[in-house]
Amino acid sequence: MASRRDPRRRQALRTGALVLGTLLAGCAGDGKGLDVNGRPPGESGAGLPPATGATFKAVQDNVLTPYCTGCHAGASAPLGLRLDAGNSYALLVNVNSVEVGSLKRVLPGDPGNSYLVQKIEGRASVGARMPLGGAALSQANIDLVRTWIAAGAPTAEGPGVVASKAFAVTSTIPAAGEVALADTGSVTLVFNAGVDAALAQSGTLELARVDGPAVALASIEVSAANPTVLTLRSAVALPAGDYLLTVRGTGATALADQAARRLDGDGDGQPGGDFSIGFSVAAQSPAAGVSSMSGERK
Amino acid sequence: MSVRSPVFQALRLLSAALVLASGVARAEPYLAVQTGFKCVQCHVNPSGGGLRNSFGNVFAQTQLAAKRLGGDDAELWTGSVGRFISIGGNLRANASYAKIPDQQSTDEFAVEEARVYLDVAVIPGRLSVYLDERVAPGNSENREANVRFWLREGELYVKGGKMYLPFGWRLEDDTAFARQLSGINMQAPDNGVEIGLERGPWTAQLAVSNGTAGGPETDDGKMFTARVEHVQNAWRVGASATLNNSDAGDRTGAALFAGARWGKFSLLGEVDWFDDDGIGANGRQRMATLAEANWLWRQGHNFKATFEWFEPDTDVDEDEQTRTSLVYEWSPVQFLQARFGVRRFIGIPQSDPQNRTEAFLQLHGYF
Repeated sequence: MASRRDPRRRQALRTGALVLGTLLAGCAGDGKGLDVNGRPPGESGAGLPPATGATFKAVQDNVLTPYCTGCHAGASAPLGLRLDAGNSYALLVNVNSVEVGSLKRVLPGDPGNSYLVQKIEGRASVGARMPLGGAALSQANIDLVRTWIAAGAPTAEGPGVVASKAFAVTSTIPAAGEVALADTGSVTLVFNAGVDAALAQSGTLELARVDGPAVALASIEVSAANPTVLTLRSAVALPAGDYLLTVRGTGATALADQAARRLDGDGDGQPGGDFSIGFSVAAQSPAAGVSSMSGERK
Repeated sequence: MSVRSPVFQALRLLSAALVLASGVARAEPYLAVQTGFKCVQCHVNPSGGGLRNSFGNVFAQTQLAAKRLGGDDAELWTGSVGRFISIGGNLRANASYAKIPDQQSTDEFAVEEARVYLDVAVIPGRLSVYLDERVAPGNSENREANVRFWLREGELYVKGGKMYLPFGWRLEDDTAFARQLSGINMQAPDNGVEIGLERGPWTAQLAVSNGTAGGPETDDGKMFTARVEHVQNAWRVGASATLNNSDAGDRTGAALFAGARWGKFSLLGEVDWFDDDGIGANGRQRMATLAEANWLWRQGHNFKATFEWFEPDTDVDEDEQTRTSLVYEWSPVQFLQARFGVRRFIGIPQSDPQNRTEAFLQLHGYF
């Protein structure tokens, strides 16, 4: 019988451990051609490296996507809270928590009273700290969320942000001047007050190619959970090109908020004026042009 | 209950018979596989989890622990408080360690959760009102609240209210890839109606629910979830399917699961597939698998090894993740369990969270 010090036995154990480790590691992806969240480059929103600074993209790329979307995604997301890139903002900012209805999930300007912060810091009055069953988020990531909320929880950095007491657009996705990913099929607008959903119609909002006709829209939807968020969805993915988005603030088809205030589209602080931005859609994502065996979409 | 009562004597005979017949059982799938039991054998809820019935409680005291404090003549806890009311509970306290590459490691003590259960059998054997309340950490939070009516006693029931949906293996580990992917676990009850059948070797459930995982209903779409399982003494096989019709994007899923016993070893497997229309621009198909092996070294000592695989998007290559766990479960005395485990995650190299290591020591008290 071999003793515990038998070199052959030790070698066999070492080899066995190596083989087992190789097998287990081999089942995981090598990540070639993917961003830090395992997505084709650019799809996560900020690309490689992850967005820095306290922007919503940074929060999405560094916190929500890597730590939360394992559970909080899709139609059966816990408590209806979907935190994937296309849904998170509308379901977080100024939306009441389900567990503690008196708190907003994200209350712009007040991280301490934002339920999202309480959950990731483990001081919420209901339930366990998030991420559930895993290690606490690093202090750097918690600080990122806090800083973003303290800054007013803006949708995106750059053009398009308007500071106005009148009913106005605060931000858009894509932002003004942004080059959106290929296959983009929706445009999201965030307002500083709840939109009157009855007025959100095709005559009021228009998406058109700069050098072509209006885009056929499949839907114009005001979020039931957060009526400050409005989403236009095209019938098909937008072809590459330049686009102009217009929201009427004047005339019979003017958009108004739930207090019947017409849109301040031109940013003069007074009701009225059309809001418009231009953006582009890329021909294809950077990953799509890579024809290697890995990282491209199958 | 007196040790001389007829019920007690019956339970003793029952437990003695089980010793001869099957070894050890507990309210977890692998122990159901080891014994050949259905979930309803030990739980009030026919689809498993939550409050243990009298059989389950006696089992916990006579078959699970390495040693029974008080000896064989000690009075048995059955969970019954009078003829109509049963109570129970669980508390899990953790000491955990986590290391994410390029980040400082963390370790902490925490109460994972404490739950209390109440079942009022208004008409014993036919009609019950059931509550599952999470009382820690934080304020109390209702997890299940439903009425269960046996249309045919022990065979056909209907349940309405807030409940855990039936899908795949009802694992204790809510963070298993398969349970995270399905979104159907012990953290995500839903409001709806379930009808269930227990006949011979078959057990089946069909549930219709809001599909919001406990959140408010925001549309008129509903979620349909079905689970069917064929149980034999040494093996079992089952299938689940779900469809969640939602304005957030339809969700379709299916699972195949199976288990088998071989001496002191029990094996479990599950394969899950989900198609979510509401994720990304074009929807996303995802998969997860679970392979679990348990070795019951001796009564009160179980070694568990699991290997899980997760495919986050079938349209993207080289993004797969794995999770490997080694867990030792020690039940020194009745109603007490200590669990020590190590979990190793392996994912794409550029993601630190996907390559973390976790270890835990858990103290689990239950009744």
